[in-house]
Amino acid sequence: MDKQTYADADETLYRQVLPNGLTVIVVPKADYHKTYALMTTNYGSIDTRFIPLGGDQFVDTPDGIAHFLEHKLFEKADHDAFDLFGETGANANAFTGATRTSYLFSTTAAVETNLETLLDFVQDPYFTDQTVNKEKGIIGQEIQMYQDDPGWRLYFGMIGNLYPTHPVHIDVAGTIDSIDKITPEMLYDVHRTFYQPSNMTLTIVGNVDPDAIVALVANNQAKKQLVNGPFTRGVEVDTDISTILPYRVLEMPIVQPKSIVGIKGTRDVQDDFEGLKYQIAVRLLLESIFGDSSELYLKWYDDGLIDDSFDFEYSAQRTYNFATIGSDTNDPAAFSDAVIDVINRGVDQPELNEARFKQLQRAALGKYYQSLNSLEGIANQLSAQSFGTSTLFDFPKALNSLTLADLQQVATEFLNVDAVSVFHLLSEGE
Amino acid sequence: MRIELKPGVHLNIIETQQFKTTRISIQFIAPLAKATVTQRTLLTSMLETNSADYPTQAKVSTFLESLYGASFGIGVAREGQVHRISATMNLVADQFADSSLLPAAFDFIQRLIFRPNVQNEAFDQVTFDREQENLMQYLASLDDDRQTQAALALQRLYFAASPDQAVPSFGEIDALREITPTSLYQYYQDVLAHDQIEIVVLGNVDAELVTKLTEQLPFGPRATVGSLSFDQPVGPEIATQTETANVNQAKFNLGYHVEIDDFGPKYFAMLVAESLFGGSPLSMLFTNVREKASLAYYASSQLDALRHFMSVQTGIDADQQPRVLDLISQQRQLIIDGEFDEARLQAIKDGLINARVSGADSPRFLSNQALFHALTPGAPTDLASFTAKVQAVTKAQVQAAAKTMQLQATYFLTGANNG
Repeated sequence: MDKQTYADADETLYRQVLPNGLTVIVVPKADYHKTYALMTTNYGSIDTRFIPLGGDQFVDTPDGIAHFLEHKLFEKADHDAFDLFGETGANANAFTGATRTSYLFSTTAAVETNLETLLDFVQDPYFTDQTVNKEKGIIGQEIQMYQDDPGWRLYFGMIGNLYPTHPVHIDVAGTIDSIDKITPEMLYDVHRTFYQPSNMTLTIVGNVDPDAIVALVANNQAKKQLVNGPFTRGVEVDTDISTILPYRVLEMPIVQPKSIVGIKGTRDVQDDFEGLKYQIAVRLLLESIFGDSSELYLKWYDDGLIDDSFDFEYSAQRTYNFATIGSDTNDPAAFSDAVIDVINRGVDQPELNEARFKQLQRAALGKYYQSLNSLEGIANQLSAQSFGTSTLFDFPKALNSLTLADLQQVATEFLNVDAVSVFHLLSEGE
Repeated sequence: MRIELKPGVHLNIIETQQFKTTRISIQFIAPLAKATVTQRTLLTSMLETNSADYPTQAKVSTFLESLYGASFGIGVAREGQVHRISATMNLVADQFADSSLLPAAFDFIQRLIFRPNVQNEAFDQVTFDREQENLMQYLASLDDDRQTQAALALQRLYFAASPDQAVPSFGEIDALREITPTSLYQYYQDVLAHDQIEIVVLGNVDAELVTKLTEQLPFGPRATVGSLSFDQPVGPEIATQTETANVNQAKFNLGYHVEIDDFGPKYFAMLVAESLFGGSPLSMLFTNVREKASLAYYASSQLDALRHFMSVQTGIDADQQPRVLDLISQQRQLIIDGEFDEARLQAIKDGLINARVSGADSPRFLSNQALFHALTPGAPTDLASFTAKVQAVTKAQVQAAAKTMQLQATYFLTGANNG
């Protein structure tokens, strides 16, 4: 088993790839009462097109199938896996993202039992026409609920602007029409292809003994006949700025209008140390310019252009990456114009200076150590990075290796006004 | 460890090496009143935005960055019949910094609280206008979130006879309009002089240093608040309200009165009964209403023990509302009739205990628990006692607890076309 010690953070990470290809990651936390485990497949809502394991041509599956599968995996012929966790007092959950699907539990007792439950229910699918059809009602409700959520509509509106030809623009849950087409056979095909052990990782953080826990997982896996094999993903890297829809607007029955500006990343960001460095650099750049200690933030806030809902973020995922800068505002056009003016300056930003860079670097390091209080935070982050070569614990090294010149270079490339799009959410009738 | 600094001013220290942070929170506690909640909420915005020594937000933020990315925020909360303003600072533990951050942290807190941005006994007019406007906009747009809209509407409906409880803990627009920089400053003097003060410090800290630093905060002696518990008598009728809005998914919320005692057997029986009814993923609402009947995307309950109030929230298809109401009533009846097995009951108890033990991994939970214990001395604080009392709950006690769940109000938010 590979063991890495991070003296600065006082953390140790164990990593073992089992004979069947499943990667197990363990971070022991002896002071803690809880254990949190996530089983993750490198498969999400964007992976609708693929050549399945054992197949020879591309198939297209309905939008929302990854999320549908996640819901359905809990239900078995004679029980619901949810109840098995519950019987020990543990909490279980699952979530589907654009590029990954995760199943998790959190417990303070019976870690071993719950771990077996997690492995078994994720790896042993059971789908019938009846159970699949019933789920369509539940997910239909979920889809409808999000339609009423202004923040969600704004964010997805922007993703739709930046990625009109990439499947990330499609709602993770799909549509009522698309999920209606899902059949048990499709779910089995997807499961066979993407839930093979070599496409999955198991991350465990908590009060556990790494050797014992890995032995337990290895023993569980050795009993199963799980097939690994090649498959091909159909989704391609999208860094193409020519497809961007520059502007869209949506009206909803809301009081508070919202405005968001997106910037499409034009380089493919990998899950390695260089990629980690790049992501930190983009975030530090945005923090320098738009952060709440910036002159810009102060001016916009004092002018009433924004309020404390103002937010910016950068997301880098398999095949795409982008930043958003958004706020509740009574003047959505003035807000997006102001943001675009800033982007238009490129590297010429008054806030990009050595003193401020050092200050933000130090603050980022402090925030990183603070974030390690949370088992869930550590596990989610490790799991999200588990298909790459860098981890959460490489953060200090990556952060400290950055210089102001790195940020300036990122600014030159990333603050590209041709990669920008705007989405406004207005009150109905205005 | 709990230390009286002055009458009505206490320091609670939780020494632990488990975390990589130090958490400082200062709580201002006063009786809950419709007349003051809005002022208290606006105060939080005024105090955290700037101060005499940090006259802009940028200066506040720059200081926090220099303190290794510390965070600071002020918020409000309701606990039964008291209201609290909590100022909270999280900072990286001293071993990750060059020297102890506590003196600088307390100096900052003292400046923000005791040296606000004030001229001529009034808050700074420019800051005031902006924060009043922002809060106005926030309150006006609450209904943009339909779950919030439904929850607040149910609370108004349920507590129609108790105006202090009917208002949101963060205030109302009409009251906000009446506030001026002068009136708010005057009210703040009242808060500083009369609110009960509880300071909670958690982390790998030196108790002597913390005591010394907190003693320097210029709080005078004051009275303490009484019991937190509020109990609105059960009314003879169920209040109902239906509103329409342009929504895809309808919201249907229900409010129940529940009977509980002061952390005695009835309290623990209700914890278990509520968790079985709708408070956990193993609950009747989740398994029978959401999963088996496929009637709702979400269906869950929440217990507000300090107000003897339990609410149910669901997101449904509008035309299913009568069926949902019927099914929810059935779930309560099933518990009363004892239609649940011992294994499920045990799993529910284990879930409550698991949640409590998990809390020991959260600085926020531990800090709030210390505060709660300070305000309600009868509550069990140690895990063993909590566990024993949950495990001691019998099936008959759960049935009896469910019987005390009395439906008092229902609120239905439906699409315009579904009337």
